[in-house]
Amino acid sequence: MKKISVYQIAYKNLLRKRTRSLLTIVGIGLSAWVLASLLGFNRGYESALKKDIDNMGFQVLVTAKGCPYEAATLMLKGGTGLRYMSEGVVEDILKHPEVEKVTPMLMQAVFDPERGDSGAISAYLGVDPATFPQMKAFLKFKQGGWFSDSEARQAVLGYEAAELEQREVGDMLLIPDKNIELTVVGILARSGTQDDGTIFVPIRMLQKEFGETGKLTAVGIKVDRRGDIAALENKLYDLPDVQVVSLAQVKNTIMSLVATAKVMVLSIAVIAILIAMVGVVNTILMSVFERVQEIGIMKSMGAMPGDIFRMIWTETVILCLLGGTLGVLLAFGLAKVTDLFVRRLLPYTPTGSLVIVGLGLGLTTLAIVIVIGLVSGVYPAWRAARMRPLESIRSEGE
Amino acid sequence: MKKPSIILLAVFILSGVLAAAVGCELNDPDRDVKRLFPESTGYRTLYASIHERGGAELLARIERRLGDSFKGLFETADVPYTLYRIVKGAETVGYIHGVNQKGRYGGIQVFLALDPAGTIRAFYFQRLTNQNAKALRAPEFGQQFVGLNLPDFANYEVPTGRIRPGSRLAAIKNPAAAAEDDFRASLRAVKKNLILCDEFLLGNRFMGKEGT
Repeated sequence: MKKISVYQIAYKNLLRKRTRSLLTIVGIGLSAWVLASLLGFNRGYESALKKDIDNMGFQVLVTAKGCPYEAATLMLKGGTGLRYMSEGVVEDILKHPEVEKVTPMLMQAVFDPERGDSGAISAYLGVDPATFPQMKAFLKFKQGGWFSDSEARQAVLGYEAAELEQREVGDMLLIPDKNIELTVVGILARSGTQDDGTIFVPIRMLQKEFGETGKLTAVGIKVDRRGDIAALENKLYDLPDVQVVSLAQVKNTIMSLVATAKVMVLSIAVIAILIAMVGVVNTILMSVFERVQEIGIMKSMGAMPGDIFRMIWTETVILCLLGGTLGVLLAFGLAKVTDLFVRRLLPYTPTGSLVIVGLGLGLTTLAIVIVIGLVSGVYPAWRAARMRPLESIRSEGE
Repeated sequence: MKKPSIILLAVFILSGVLAAAVGCELNDPDRDVKRLFPESTGYRTLYASIHERGGAELLARIERRLGDSFKGLFETADVPYTLYRIVKGAETVGYIHGVNQKGRYGGIQVFLALDPAGTIRAFYFQRLTNQNAKALRAPEFGQQFVGLNLPDFANYEVPTGRIRPGSRLAAIKNPAAAAEDDFRASLRAVKKNLILCDEFLLGNRFMGKEGT
């Protein structure tokens, strides 16, 4: 006579109520998917943000003190009211041994009344062709190259700026209001950074044409690999009328903002897992109550409470294993969809993959789901194990 | 105040100044539809691309009808076109469609409002950068296109900009001699726009009548 194991009985029991088992597996699967995606988001967002900040080419930005940063001013004041630093600040910064490279920048903006319905701001970033390309060595050109000199009436367009303006190398670009014609000499390949949307022009030309000779709005600083960024920041604060922004500080600020969103999503995930747990308990408990007489017969034939406990517990584990696997597969398969969804939800998202689901993460999720399943199965298994054989056989079912 | 500033800076420096937009949509569809079709009660938005509607074969046909090739980088088969079908109750009272066109100093967006038969009832630039933009945007300039349809452009050779004398198109005057490039660009944009509307909306009713 062929001997049947507890595991085979558990498996066959689940097959007896296929629809119910399937729905429970789907419920666990969805919870596992939310959990894996959330863990993947935790990892992906930080890594994408770090990459974006690294791609800026500099770790510290020095701007004029006052209304603080040219970027914020542009947005808030419609391109007016920019604060400037003297060019001499570059020399002062270079005196610090931690500084490897610096690049001066001048941001200017004009109101273009012909843009959109009620006009819009067009911004131009003046950069030094001698230092800026070195600091942004990762930028590649789709067409052309950098300016011939820092006073040329030329422009280099980021990929998206070129797409928006429909410009190619050799085309003209007009700075409205100032009526300055520029020739496009380069179009950058897509970098996935803020540079994609930027119009770069030679800094000297911009200073001259906008009457801001000798003035800067920002200085980008690349710190030597052995340099202490925090120490350098403190020293830079000694410079008169400057504001120092460490991109590590920017990163931390964004991460603290995102942490709020993470807590909310985590709460949803925890609720989803709790619902799935209740579903598992319900499914197994119903299955136990439907088999009261059957369990009684098994016990009268010699099955010990431990055997019954193990059988019911195994059913729970099988459900969780299958549900967990489904969830992990969903997380892998729908990572890009989740990415798009998260991008719609958050006000700012970095350019890389926001949700990174790897093998390790998949296994972790599966382990968490199985542990939850084991906990969920304890009560139904305990109820089944403590049934009295004769009472169970006599019962009509609870 | 330090934290909000850092947040602003962070969002700004990491998100870029400009957003990419390859397609051409109305800035404010509700308002624009009401302005161009005051009698309308609503509109439906349709999306189409040459790639989806017929691929290389359709692109070749459109280029043949236009008499000019699409410019590789910014005028490709996968550009999404947004078409607005304007309704009054259940009845279609017209269409609105805009196209991007390369201008002298940047992208130009030319919008046409058509009646159900494909005749222009309004023309305007949604976007235009030029020292003479004011003259080109003047209502008098756009008014010159009203009443034209695709067959009227049979008299216009896109690559050379030549217009057959005596044709209805020849009556359209460039309001600023210095803006000749953008004047010609706008004529090309109108012809392209009408061909795309004929392909996507009007069932090619003007096929073969637009000249080459």
